[in-house]
Amino acid sequence: MSARMEGPAPVNFECPRESDVLDALASARWPNRVDRELADHVASCVVCQDVITVASAIQTDHDSAWREASVPSSGQMWWRAEMRARQDAIRDASRPVTVAQGMAVLFALVVVAVGGWFAWPSIYGLFSALSTGDTQSATATTAFASSLFIRLAIAMGAFLIVAPLAIYVVLSEK
Amino acid sequence: MFSRELTVSDLERLDRIATAAVEALQMDEDTFRAFYDRTARQVWAYLARITGDRSLADDLLQESYYRFLRAERAFTSESHRRNYLFRIATNLAHDRHRRGRGVFNVPVPEENEAGALADGRDLAAETAQRTDLARAMATLKPREREMLWLAYAQGSSHEEIADSLGLRKSSIKILLFRARRRLAAALGGQR
Repeated sequence: MSARMEGPAPVNFECPRESDVLDALASARWPNRVDRELADHVASCVVCQDVITVASAIQTDHDSAWREASVPSSGQMWWRAEMRARQDAIRDASRPVTVAQGMAVLFALVVVAVGGWFAWPSIYGLFSALSTGDTQSATATTAFASSLFIRLAIAMGAFLIVAPLAIYVVLSEK
Repeated sequence: MFSRELTVSDLERLDRIATAAVEALQMDEDTFRAFYDRTARQVWAYLARITGDRSLADDLLQESYYRFLRAERAFTSESHRRNYLFRIATNLAHDRHRRGRGVFNVPVPEENEAGALADGRDLAAETAQRTDLARAMATLKPREREMLWLAYAQGSSHEEIADSLGLRKSSIKILLFRARRRLAAALGGQR
């Protein structure tokens, strides 16, 4: 705009003749086959001069990039996308199982650790009684420890049965 | 601890999941292939020039189309679809830039263009011009490179540029002006 105005032109972000300039570039009419009026405008319009400089360089580069582009075929691209979609879906479906398995192992370790913590006095007492030859205490301690381990074993067994069932139920609902 | 062999029902279930994933893709094969054939070179050229790295452009091209296919979006037009693809490509290029593989290289023109002499073009002048442009582009911010490429290589409108880059349409005019000024100054300085 205002390319014909006298004195320094105000800074404009765009010019209404920009599309004419781009058309002339795209149709290879610039600079030799454009009308005089457009050439005069460009000579006095900073925006259009920038457009000429930038657009002609980028369009030449675009033509080069177009020639050097070596893209996979559409069939190849589709096949890869299809395979990857399948793999991703299967991986996503398997992820809850992996997480559940990890949690189950962690939980089992916690149960064993807690059981060990509570059972430790009994185990210690048993070994102390055996080392001192106190068979009565050793028998009592063994009976207590046995009942504790039986409860723990039942809890662990129940968990090992319930956990896979829970995973199965969750996945089958999904 | 809990690992077990896959049963036939497990395999059938996984196959159903995989088939559903393929069916959930954005397009069927024929539509995709036609769309890809119309756009792939444009996307590759865009990625190669905004990153300055041809091999990175190869990687990002594949990733862009895959993410496009997985996108759960409804498109109102071919232009909308194309802009969305460019937006994915742009975001992927930004991600790579952030992860450190974003150093803009000045691409060396390929030697396999010897045949270009046959069509009458001045290969030496063209190569020099491309090198100048690559050097000038390297001085710009990624967003400026993207905007200029979309505007002057793709011929995108301000609205399309805004859509492709995730910017407000109202800010494109000034941003494009600044980017164009900077590139023109950089090109002018080299000549």
